[in-house]
Amino acid sequence: MNEPLFRLIYISRNEISGDEATLNREIDQILASSRVKNPIENITGALMFNAGCFAQVLEGSHNEIQNTFERIQCDPRHSHVVVLAFEPTSERSFSNWSMAYFGTNSNAAAKFGDIANKAGFDPSLLEGDRIFDLLKEHLIEAESASHRKL
Amino acid sequence: MPNELTQIIGNCAQVSSLGFAVINESGVLVCANPSFCEMFFITSPEAAAGCALAEHVSSRFYSINADLSKAFTCPAPDIIELRLERSSEPLTMHIAAGNDLRMLTVNRVSKPLVDKKLPNNAYQDPLTGLGNRMLLNDQIANWQPSGPESLSLAVIMIDLDRFKKINDTLGHGAGDTLLKLVAKRILSATRDNDTVIRMEGDEFVVLHTIGFQPIGAISVAKRIVELMSRSFLIEGQQTNIGASVGIAALNHGTDNIADLLKHADLALYAAKAAGRGIVKFFEPALAQRAMDRRNLEIDLSRALGLKEFVLMYQPQVNMADGTLQGFEALIRWHNPKRGLVSPADFIPLAEQTGEINAIGEWTLRTACKEAMSWDGNFSVAVNVSPIQFENESIVDIVRNALIATGLAPERLELEITEGVMMKDYETAQKHLWAIKKMGVGIAMDDFGTGYSSLSYLNSFPFSKIKIDQSFVRGESSPKSRALVQAIISLGASLKMTIIAEGVETKEQFDELAAGGCQSAQGYLISRPIATPAIAGFISDLKNKPR
Repeated sequence: MNEPLFRLIYISRNEISGDEATLNREIDQILASSRVKNPIENITGALMFNAGCFAQVLEGSHNEIQNTFERIQCDPRHSHVVVLAFEPTSERSFSNWSMAYFGTNSNAAAKFGDIANKAGFDPSLLEGDRIFDLLKEHLIEAESASHRKL
Repeated sequence: MPNELTQIIGNCAQVSSLGFAVINESGVLVCANPSFCEMFFITSPEAAAGCALAEHVSSRFYSINADLSKAFTCPAPDIIELRLERSSEPLTMHIAAGNDLRMLTVNRVSKPLVDKKLPNNAYQDPLTGLGNRMLLNDQIANWQPSGPESLSLAVIMIDLDRFKKINDTLGHGAGDTLLKLVAKRILSATRDNDTVIRMEGDEFVVLHTIGFQPIGAISVAKRIVELMSRSFLIEGQQTNIGASVGIAALNHGTDNIADLLKHADLALYAAKAAGRGIVKFFEPALAQRAMDRRNLEIDLSRALGLKEFVLMYQPQVNMADGTLQGFEALIRWHNPKRGLVSPADFIPLAEQTGEINAIGEWTLRTACKEAMSWDGNFSVAVNVSPIQFENESIVDIVRNALIATGLAPERLELEITEGVMMKDYETAQKHLWAIKKMGVGIAMDDFGTGYSSLSYLNSFPFSKIKIDQSFVRGESSPKSRALVQAIISLGASLKMTIIAEGVETKEQFDELAAGGCQSAQGYLISRPIATPAIAGFISDLKNKPR
């Protein structure tokens, strides 16, 4: 692992349309495919989501991040991708790849709490980071703007 | 030796990269090889047995089959395409027929970008792996209609916006990386039947072979524009470009297959002209407009040689005593077919084609020469286009015109618009000062329109400001009057002469004169005069009792 490490942080609009079952299934599928692909590509990071928004941190080599980002950019489940940071970083903040629901709705929090467990999401890794606070703000804002309330 | 055979096949299945599995009549997995397990996220072959395949697959893959359990339980053979993401390469699952147990074979089929029958290199773009122009021509030439008229061939032509800037700032290596990523994004927006081509540079074509037109091609085009507007990550940098798209479809504005590429190109040209990130569908009016423009361009390029240009001169007078100060030279184009063509129609075109350099030089020389024939040391004002100032030799052109004709530099005045300063501030300043040093006057034309930046007045050597005629016409409104007054006092403080153009009525003249404006030109004084009539005009004015 002598390749320089990069960190990408972006937010995007959640374009998954349909009922809760659809969202459940799509989220499950994102989790499944990420868990298969990301370790192979040596990508770590975190995906936070709610009904309105995705917020993602990706860590890895430049080219692997580029590949993953290209896949994300062509994925119809996202739109309005806004890159907040893309920069070299000295170390990984995440030891693996994780995923968590971040929203105000308590039902959904209970339902998707399981995902955080499955994905090994540890918010304490991000706590106190300015960009993480920013991501949380974006997530909550996007959720309140979303038509679908989970 | 059926047992031995079974064992051999079994061993092969264990190590094969193909996925093998057996399901029972209810679609439940009986066994699966390691490749199958890997493809379908099953932890091990041992864990495969008992798994309800339809449910397992439908939660992880996209399929056009709405009901996978039906496909798995139906005894007929079937082929199912499964995608991890909507846009990704499909896994193709073959289901063999059977009454109770059924065999599944799965292979990852990567669709060849280029038809295997052709020698690849000749039809492939080496950088992106897409097809090249030869493949495009080939496919268009060999296309056969295969359905109703609405299902027809469309050419989607894509040109990247701001690509040159990436090449210039991040280097050609970054440009090449970007083109590769662009190629992949375009592929992700197209369908299996489409052919994606890189033409050259940053131009791509999608040949949309089967789709309801025009909606089919337009939706692909819009998706491409959307994908191109999203950020790219290149060489550690976030990069934003964009794309413009032109479409032409057979039976939808284009009748002849040979015209498809040309029409898509025209639509692309219109899309770019309309702004960036726009999709334009070809319509016959575009072809007419392009043809008109091309004809005008050709006629314009011949006009100098055929001596179709003439200069007319509009007098400029001193407002205090009505004496003649000089003339503004105005170009006129008499074309035998077109009649009199307005400068508003041909000057912008000449600026685009570069013809303006030759036309401008001719105008300058002709004006200087004809001014030498006038009875009196009247000044002559010549309009100079911003494009002429991009040319390094503008200073020499002015100097040579003076030397060749013998006109005193003080009698020549160049009228320039602020476009000259806006193009390249430093160079414009250098050229203008050099011209000023020869003794030539420089007038700021159309003042009050555009940005009218005061910093131009400060740093450029203007000897005169020309108030735009729109203010003169609006003299009756209090606001226009106030603006004219402000320009006049600005000029007075900066020791620049103020001239008003478009003066048409006695009221306007009196008002301007009372406000302190020094010079005027306009229909009230005289329309532009043809060269042969100038001598008469001058002598009439001299003999007129005042």
